[in-house]
Amino acid sequence: MSILSAADVAELLLGTAEAGGSAAAVVVVRTPSGALAALAGRRLAVTRMGADRIGMHGTLGSEALDTAAVAVLHEALDTPRSRDGLREIQADGATVELYLEVRRPVQELIVVGAGHIAQPMAHVGALLGFKVTVLDDRPDFATRERFPDADRVVRADFSDPFADIPLHERSHILLVTRGHKYDYDCLVRALRMDPPPAYIGMIGSRRRVRATFVQLVDEGFTMDLIERIHAPVGLDIGAETPEEIAVAVAAELVMVRRGGTGLPLRGVERVAERFFSQTTEEPQ
Amino acid sequence: MTREDERTLTEALAAARDAGRRCALATIVETKGSTPRKVGARMLVDPTRGLVGTVGGGCGEAEVIEAAHRVLGTGVPERVRVDLTDDLLSWSPAVCGGIMDVFVEPVSPPEPRA
Repeated sequence: MSILSAADVAELLLGTAEAGGSAAAVVVVRTPSGALAALAGRRLAVTRMGADRIGMHGTLGSEALDTAAVAVLHEALDTPRSRDGLREIQADGATVELYLEVRRPVQELIVVGAGHIAQPMAHVGALLGFKVTVLDDRPDFATRERFPDADRVVRADFSDPFADIPLHERSHILLVTRGHKYDYDCLVRALRMDPPPAYIGMIGSRRRVRATFVQLVDEGFTMDLIERIHAPVGLDIGAETPEEIAVAVAAELVMVRRGGTGLPLRGVERVAERFFSQTTEEPQ
Repeated sequence: MTREDERTLTEALAAARDAGRRCALATIVETKGSTPRKVGARMLVDPTRGLVGTVGGGCGEAEVIEAAHRVLGTGVPERVRVDLTDDLLSWSPAVCGGIMDVFVEPVSPPEPRA
């Protein structure tokens, strides 16, 4: 095993996540003084592309250290909500502190329909770290020029929109086509996906959304499935313009990713009420 | 770090490696309380190209840059504890209320084998 530089590891983590794999790396950040001090800055990484392609890269300087560190790396990769940060390992009678970082496969945003909402949506989606795909059946709309921030701009038939786009549990699908019939066709396909996508959002007024749900029930979709649809899409911030709507949808995407409430923090924290009130209530 | 930040930093690291240029890399490895950047934020101090990325700006970052210059000289990694817990009402730039632990290491070319 060769010594990996910080640049090598950065490329490995980024490249693996962008290719749809997972990766984790440790770097030695504290050692006992003495002979082990020279190991500070040493790196070890594990990459996983699917279940069968597991790679180990670099070395911390001894087999015992590597074995202990690899266990830490695999445990982190197996823990969906593992947090990056400090970890300790014991090997060769010494305690060594590591900094651990994990990269998950890049999350994808698939914007179906390349109209006026799709443009700011692709922009904000890229800003949030999504790998953005925009698709439409109109060649004049599905162009690189209109979507400079998108990773892919695809011309696709709405009767089979995801034919060329591999969907998975990291896919976030936003339906904003020019017609509700197209949205509906794409929605049905998204709902039938197994495993289900991380997010399905569909634009539309309350009336339109209700009509869509009635049709889904008629076709035999269960309420459990229907309740997974984010429609009308986005958080309630009074959005009207395409840009504002993109921000409302983006806020919802972050909420789904991070598990927030969607409420204003002012109301959640109530700082003024809790710490400045004249009542008998004690500050908490 | 956002994906874009990570790309930019990775490219800067690779460019320094490929040119064989000694730089210093600062990584926030732990935070307590409120800090402008969280665990994983990175900054590359490249003597010829300047700074890439940020560990939060202000006085805290200045301490880290100072450490980076020491590390560039000695070639020995350092752990820097940045204390941003000045009195909240002092209007000092260091009033985020937290403490962050930063690992500062020399990068590219890698240390020779011991």
